[in-house]
Amino acid sequence: MTNAHLEAVEPAGETTHYVLHLYVTGSTPRSIQAIANIRKICEAHLVGRYDLDVVDISEDPMRAQSEQIIAAPTLIKTLPLPLRRFIGDMSQTDRIMVGLDLRAGGAAIPTERS
Amino acid sequence: MTHKVGIDAPDHLATSALIAENARLQIRLAEAEETLRAIRTDEVDALVVQSAVGPKLYTLQGLDAEIMRFRGDMLAQVSDAVIAIDKDERITYINAAAEDLYGVSASQALGSTLPRVYDLRWFHPADEVAAHTDLDDLGEWRGENIHIRSDGRELNVESSVTVLRNIGGEATGRLAVVRDITERKQHENKLQVSEVRYRRLFEAAHDGILVIDPGTSKIIDANPFMTQLLGYPYSDLIGKELFEIGLWKDGRASQDMFAKLKLSGQVRYENLPLERVSGEHQDVEVVANLYEENGRSVIQCNIRDISERRRSEAHVEMLMAEVNHRAKNLLAVVQAVAYQTARQGDPATLMTRLSERINGLAIGQDLLVKNQWHGVDVADLVRGQLAHFADLIGTRVSLSGPTLRLTSEAAQAIGMALHELATNAVKYGALSNLEGCVHIAWKTLPGNQPTFDMSWVESGGPAVTVPTHKGFGHTIIGRLVEASVQGVTQIAFEPGGLMWRLTAPMDNAIAPANPAKSASPASAVL
Repeated sequence: MTNAHLEAVEPAGETTHYVLHLYVTGSTPRSIQAIANIRKICEAHLVGRYDLDVVDISEDPMRAQSEQIIAAPTLIKTLPLPLRRFIGDMSQTDRIMVGLDLRAGGAAIPTERS
Repeated sequence: MTHKVGIDAPDHLATSALIAENARLQIRLAEAEETLRAIRTDEVDALVVQSAVGPKLYTLQGLDAEIMRFRGDMLAQVSDAVIAIDKDERITYINAAAEDLYGVSASQALGSTLPRVYDLRWFHPADEVAAHTDLDDLGEWRGENIHIRSDGRELNVESSVTVLRNIGGEATGRLAVVRDITERKQHENKLQVSEVRYRRLFEAAHDGILVIDPGTSKIIDANPFMTQLLGYPYSDLIGKELFEIGLWKDGRASQDMFAKLKLSGQVRYENLPLERVSGEHQDVEVVANLYEENGRSVIQCNIRDISERRRSEAHVEMLMAEVNHRAKNLLAVVQAVAYQTARQGDPATLMTRLSERINGLAIGQDLLVKNQWHGVDVADLVRGQLAHFADLIGTRVSLSGPTLRLTSEAAQAIGMALHELATNAVKYGALSNLEGCVHIAWKTLPGNQPTFDMSWVESGGPAVTVPTHKGFGHTIIGRLVEASVQGVTQIAFEPGGLMWRLTAPMDNAIAPANPAKSASPASAVL
């Protein structure tokens, strides 16, 4: 079986636990914005069922290498599968929510652009 | 069919793998496009490029980003906790010191609201209002409050909060620099408790305490008892030197004391005269200590009023001398009693008679000791000597007389006389049968020469016969008691019973001060 087979099987339900890694570079405005935006989304839709690990790659560049990060800020949804990546300040709520399998569409959560 | 399946299956699997790989590549492609889009739309801060020495970070935001990063690095180094929040009160920055202080990691805290890291408690509701007012009006606030960590631990903190603004001047968040002052506060609280405790000791002490500046020799503090001891109000003591307040009236002696104190750190004077503001003199003991207080020397002078102790010592000395004198007297009396008892009477009963007489003396001594040699009440003396007949008192033995205190000498002699009279009454007189009575009375007779009058009158006993010879008992109730009070005795062997009477100048028999004793006058019948 390939990863593609595994990734295809588990649709996210309302009890699914999310493991997210957000890679940022210090306290730049976009990093700060990305952190704030993703935290808002999580607290609105994943209360009590998510782990968000914020990684500063300016402090720990090797973490960037192990996760094949090429730009920051980058959010990686490790669980549930499939693994997904999102680049930017996380202000495009609809796209991120669809990518996180939280909903197909609907009202956007107000997030901010720096 | 089976053959066909056997041929088709690998093809089918290969097709599925290709579809899956295609899907994966499409996702990667979408992600690559996403990355390019993000870079194009300026949503990316930095690019990570693999190099021979590992990943290398290229920031895309020029000088501002570098300056920001530099500031971030500086904040990370400071020992105070630094936390920045955005206008929604979400944490956008937390340094290592803040992670330690609140027991959270940056990854947990970033993007979270403040209550996730700590709750606030103000000392007074007005403090919170004042803080918000300062932040709104001045853009900054500095003050103290309590931060409660998520594990419940409370921290006393001193915070400095500044409003962050963008180039347009719009508030974008706040930056707080927080210092943990919990230990300092605990120390301050301990100091406060200690201050209250020792201040109470200082103020309630029954020793006078002066605090003196050794540089100027002037008093800088005094406790309330000191003002009481000297009779000066507190304000009059402060700024004065010791010789000015009646201690070491000689300024030179006072200087000598300071010199000794500086050499040895402590001086003690067991008996110094102190002159109160009223001019009255008082004996005091002075102990002075030199010690350091916040890097400067101070002298603590404890002054104890020893007048009472001196009086007590004098009284003990007087008592010791009195006891010595009494003991010598008593030994002389015992010697005389033993000699006279042995010289007269039946040798076979010598030990019994001698023992009884010494016992009578002992009763008188006990009463004297009980009254600290200040004499003995007549009623107590009578009851003591008649203790063997206590059950007869009130029936066959009656006592009457006012409360009068005999001098020690009179008590000793009259006590011995009463003992002889009682012994005689039991052996030969009114108490030797079942009907006889004894009436003991005493009184004072006023006049130019007030007189003490005491009598022992027996009645109802066996018929009285006048003794053919006078023994030592007769001497005791006669000459001995007369000599002790310069009085006169009458001894009559009346047919109805023995009558004994003593009259003496009151000053010789009755203690002058007649210290108040609670005993009521003997009633007609005790």
